[in-house]
Amino acid sequence: MKKTINLIIDRQIRKVVIATGIASVTTQLLTIREFLAQLSGNEFVIALILFNWLFIGGLGTFLARPLGKNASVRKLYWLSICLVILAPIQLIAIREIYDLIFIHGSSIGFYPTFAYTLFLITPYALLVGFFLPYSLIVIRDQIANYPGTRIYIFDSIGDISGGILFSFILVYCTTPLQAIFIAHLPLLVALYSLYASAYNVKSTAVIGTILGLTALVAAILVEIPTLTPRNGELAYYQETPYGRIQIIKDQEQYTLIQNGRPIFSSHDFTTAEEAVHYPLSQIDSVRHVLMISAENRMMSEVKKYHPKTIDYVEIDPAITDIEFRFGLLEKFPEMNVIHQDGRQYIENTEKQYDAIIINLPEPDTFQINRFFTDRFFFIARQHLTQGGVLSFSVKGFDNYISDNELQKISSIYRTTRQVFKHVLLIPGSKIFFLCSDDPLETDIPGLLENKNIPTAYISGYYYGNITSERISRLNQQLITTGPINSDFSPHLVQILLDEWFSIFSTSPILFLLILSVINIVYLFCISKEEFVLYTTGCFTMGSEILVIFAFQIFFGYIYLQIGLIITVFLAGILPGAVYGEYLRQRGKQILLFTDIAMIILMLVFIGAITFFAYQLSGYAFLLFGFAVSAVCGCQFPVALYLQGGDEPAAVKMFSADLIGAAYGTLITSILFIPFAGILWSAAGLILLKIISLIILNTKK
Amino acid sequence: MKSVSRRQFLTYSALSFAGSTLPGQALYAFTGKNQHSAPVDVSGKIFKNDAPDQLWKWSREADYYMTFPGDVVMCVICPHTCVLYKGDRSICRSRVNINGKLYTLTYGNPCSVNTDPIEKKPLFHFKPASRALSIATTGCNFRCLNCQNWQISQVKPENVRFYDLFPNQVIETALEKKAASIAYTYSEATTFYEYMIDTAMLAKQKGISNLWISNGYINPEPLSALCEVLDAANVNLKSFNNETYQKLNGGQLDPVLNTFKTLHEKGVHFEMTTLVVPGYVDDPKMIKEMCLWIVKNLGPNHPLHFLRFFPQYKLDRLPPTPVSVLTNFRKIAMDTGIRYVYVGNVPGHEGNHTYCHQCGKLLIERKGYNIPTYNIEKNKCRFCESTIPGKWI
Repeated sequence: MKKTINLIIDRQIRKVVIATGIASVTTQLLTIREFLAQLSGNEFVIALILFNWLFIGGLGTFLARPLGKNASVRKLYWLSICLVILAPIQLIAIREIYDLIFIHGSSIGFYPTFAYTLFLITPYALLVGFFLPYSLIVIRDQIANYPGTRIYIFDSIGDISGGILFSFILVYCTTPLQAIFIAHLPLLVALYSLYASAYNVKSTAVIGTILGLTALVAAILVEIPTLTPRNGELAYYQETPYGRIQIIKDQEQYTLIQNGRPIFSSHDFTTAEEAVHYPLSQIDSVRHVLMISAENRMMSEVKKYHPKTIDYVEIDPAITDIEFRFGLLEKFPEMNVIHQDGRQYIENTEKQYDAIIINLPEPDTFQINRFFTDRFFFIARQHLTQGGVLSFSVKGFDNYISDNELQKISSIYRTTRQVFKHVLLIPGSKIFFLCSDDPLETDIPGLLENKNIPTAYISGYYYGNITSERISRLNQQLITTGPINSDFSPHLVQILLDEWFSIFSTSPILFLLILSVINIVYLFCISKEEFVLYTTGCFTMGSEILVIFAFQIFFGYIYLQIGLIITVFLAGILPGAVYGEYLRQRGKQILLFTDIAMIILMLVFIGAITFFAYQLSGYAFLLFGFAVSAVCGCQFPVALYLQGGDEPAAVKMFSADLIGAAYGTLITSILFIPFAGILWSAAGLILLKIISLIILNTKK
Repeated sequence: MKSVSRRQFLTYSALSFAGSTLPGQALYAFTGKNQHSAPVDVSGKIFKNDAPDQLWKWSREADYYMTFPGDVVMCVICPHTCVLYKGDRSICRSRVNINGKLYTLTYGNPCSVNTDPIEKKPLFHFKPASRALSIATTGCNFRCLNCQNWQISQVKPENVRFYDLFPNQVIETALEKKAASIAYTYSEATTFYEYMIDTAMLAKQKGISNLWISNGYINPEPLSALCEVLDAANVNLKSFNNETYQKLNGGQLDPVLNTFKTLHEKGVHFEMTTLVVPGYVDDPKMIKEMCLWIVKNLGPNHPLHFLRFFPQYKLDRLPPTPVSVLTNFRKIAMDTGIRYVYVGNVPGHEGNHTYCHQCGKLLIERKGYNIPTYNIEKNKCRFCESTIPGKWI
């Protein structure tokens, strides 16, 4: 009879573990999105959020050992109910606490970002990390020698399901708190069944379930109020796979806010005039214009040249919808709206343009950096007619260019000069780059006067704001020697990160030093099996970041396919773990074999990128991701078996994997790729695994 | 097996709903969307032991400071009155205590030198359409979150590229560039006071006007001395609320108001600029109070500029100011009696132009920095002959 009850509890806990996987992955993805709507969205911040999540998760796992001594189903139940309640609170807190701590409307630097994300992530991530080994302890109370790998496998099933549920369904049709509600429902059901089966007391099970449900429902009720700005009203709001879009109406003005940052407002025409007339005034006859992303009034300004076609490429259909709906962009018969990744469009189109106008944010992420590389400029040039102009801008300066800014524009200048015969920089609060194979003129108002094109800003302010003195000084200051920005070595991202640090007069060195010390101490304290799993965690996350980065270069930012890559990285773990469980008795031999397999896989990646780069199929990336994660997944059961397979061993293994993943995320995103480029990053991961092999072969 | 009755179910549901929503509601009520966040003061701090070991070529002993036993000095150029121990650096990053003496590190080393239209300062009632040689060294006594010159205002003089341009060379440059005036601008001119005043004295001898473009955060004594050589000023009145001054700028309102009074008493032509930051400086009541104070203490003749805010530097998560807010503020200011109120950063706005306070006719039409229409003759309106405040060509 007891055996039957134990089996029932085992089954119920399994369900809870899977449901927790679904809920936690959804919460993690939503937390990242929520933070990106509050904080700077550069590559460092993205890596920092992921790092905090994984590191705190690892810490939570580690704490399961000392704190999990009197484990019981009851405690597991209430801990999980806390998890359900914490998820919506965490999301609301991210939105609401910012203005309590920081100055409304302002951005914050690195250390406040670190503290803010850590503080808000900690309760939930700690509990999630704690939950998995704790549930193993609870099961082992019922069934001695219950294999820890099974929990790992069920957790993976939950993670995969959560990833699929959010990335392919919820992101399209729900708001964040609705998604939290849906993702936590299976957990509530599983928890109810668990408690009812274990104690035959339905009242407590009902109380907990109701508590969880009401927290989830109450959160949905405050969704819109927590998104409404202090000034003005929320005229429109939508979540899309690419982020959060809001339209704020203040008096007569509509402002498009994307991921918490004002992109443009109605009644702004300075940027539109500069972005359009600087390049188009240079061209004798403007027939075909390509705009990659656009701002208010830009189309009207282009229209002044009477082009035959204006192709407007915007990756997110929701953006164009609301631009037209709120009159932020004008619609003309000559205009073709294309919903596609801009770079991918240029690579695939056969059309030639007189001007390509790029209107994108700063290249401080790998995604945007793709539009500032030598290869991109080369492709753009191939699609320009004779005398055609490519134009884009980056943040500029009013009266003095800082060293970081000078590095940034010099890097872009050097990169454009690899491709174009003439590159003209026009200074201002935005620095415009005009690139062409024909000579370029600096007297824009003069050119416009010759063409009889009226402007409000350029005609009145250009000669005062952008004097020939300022233009020539900027061009004289450019550093003409140094690295260029390429697809595989996004040197510019690193400069942009430096610039971000300089704005806040801060440096990440202290943070990185402290992390390194913690890391070294941790590495000295762990067993060699834990070290193998630590490096594997590092390797998996590093590979995932590399693959997403490379995929974007070759195929563009395609939300669904990138979602698929992430899912494949999660999915590979499952067969790997099952196979590892089957082979675990071969112990160290399997660890050695899988470590070597990882090295070989990464060598294949390097070879494929080096020799086949732009001929690679998208499936190759999926296959690679699946193979890497399967090999990695295989190691967990083996390492666990070698450590004895008991709860303390499981706790250590889970922790090592998570902490390794945390460090892997950080070093690949902010050190390896920006400083060393994609190939050397891959080599760095290989080195890590070689060290793992050496350690594995040591005596103790 | 215990089961739950329908009544129990409803009771639990009601209680838990109330229980779980109350904290959320309380949090929401506490954070209240119309409330400003907790008071914060972004004022700068003294940089302890940050002075260079040795003075450099671009140092000079400061004009205004007090000494105390133990080699302690107090800079009295601005209301921060930094008390510096040996080796300390002031809040503005430009002044250091070396062996019990206060030195400026920004003398003859401007990092930005440009020739600008005078309207860019903005100065609309002083030698219109003329050019000003604009110079700035590093340093500022404020920490404005929306600073447009943060690259020079928030760094130390040693950390920038600069020109070697002592006062006499500035005059030569101004003459060479045919500039009618020299503007001490961009960063905070008060922090390079000695360089400014020495240059201004030479400029005055050569018939070149001196323009002080400032946040107005200066003590009355150095300001009075400066007024002797000043021809015009544009001083920011960033808000009429002390809390906003502390939160967005790191300063205090009262000393700035005193600056306006001193400038007015000394008869210096000055114009005022208010950047209308959404959520902070966009309360019509506050603007009305501010304008009433101006009329009462400074009179109706000093031009006031309302500028449109754009996201910038660290204050980059706010939308631009709606144009109608600026139009409304212009109306409020004119209704309270200020005669010349302008709207800036909005090309083509009616508030770009100058209208006669008496007959209401267009005196100066501005298209950017161009002036296609000019109806002032010998300081008077061409139509009704009223005297127009300012210095005209």
